[in-house]
Amino acid sequence: MTPREMHPAVRDSRLAQRLDELRDGIATLGPPDSIEQALVAQFRRERARRDRALRPRLWWMPPLALAATVAFTSWIVRAPLALAPVAAPAQYTEAQAGPFIALRPLERIALEPQATVVATEFPRALLAQWGLPVSPERAGEPVRAEMLYSSSGEALAVRLLN
Amino acid sequence: MLPELSLLARMKQGDEEAFVALYRRHKDAVYRFALLFTGSSATAADVTQEAFLHFMTRPETFDPTRGSIAGWLCGVARNLARRETGTREDATDPDDLSDDTHLAPDLIERDTPIEKLLRNEALESVRAAIARLAPHYRDVLILCEFSEMSYAEAAQVCGIDIGTVRSRLSRARSQLAARLVRQGLLDTPARAKEALQ
Repeated sequence: MTPREMHPAVRDSRLAQRLDELRDGIATLGPPDSIEQALVAQFRRERARRDRALRPRLWWMPPLALAATVAFTSWIVRAPLALAPVAAPAQYTEAQAGPFIALRPLERIALEPQATVVATEFPRALLAQWGLPVSPERAGEPVRAEMLYSSSGEALAVRLLN
Repeated sequence: MLPELSLLARMKQGDEEAFVALYRRHKDAVYRFALLFTGSSATAADVTQEAFLHFMTRPETFDPTRGSIAGWLCGVARNLARRETGTREDATDPDDLSDDTHLAPDLIERDTPIEKLLRNEALESVRAAIARLAPHYRDVLILCEFSEMSYAEAAQVCGIDIGTVRSRLSRARSQLAARLVRQGLLDTPARAKEALQ
């Protein structure tokens, strides 16, 4: 029997049957397990290579972070002590204000080219650090004063306002 | 089961489990396609490994708007299998496509015969008959009959239009049937037995 002699419907039916048999025959076939192992090993190598490729792009971050930390710490250490300035202008007269008390040698104060007077307020107990008498009963009270600062932020003198 | 595109996104982030999940989901289809196309289990294993290696290292070449991962993988496997067997597609008109008369024998029988996998002689004869089809017919037949792809998916894999898939599949079936009839494999069981003896 030749292809021309067989009815097309019969031929197609038998072909479909043969293809079904072959489909069933290969249904259980699959690649060897070693391929999965090889691919997983390659995947790990690719991931490591990608990580390495990314690393040089960020090499500048640790040094930059270190430099920023050093600069910030240096600024904090060297910055003048931030005493809260009194917002309102001093409501006092010269008569109420006492004399400036030198906290540094007079020669040092005399050589200061740009001294600045800043009105402020601080706990009375701070006066004891400068060798001024403080009553223990009033140590917690605030005291208004004017501070004479050098251009570098060093406290040169103080005078109490009340 | 996670959607494939979620697994793909995780794989691109370096998630090994996602890659393994995608591999296990598609490995058999890719392997069977390569096995039927090349006729060699060793070559099919190589093609499968290369296809997934390509998927692993260049996942950005897969465009989800143009088809499924399964279809894309079969397309990669098809190109690799064609390279392995030294075949290429020059003609686009089915009438211009050659039959197996131009195929070298080494394209049909490989170093690791599939007979070892298919113990049934009749099945092996069908497989060998498929392997002797021209590659243009062979890949369409395998994709539509064995990879259970739609005409549209097969068209995407082969880079041809659906009409061409239909005509090539029809010719592939016709040529395969003619070949199997000549071998007595489509006859009645009694005549088939005589033909095989």
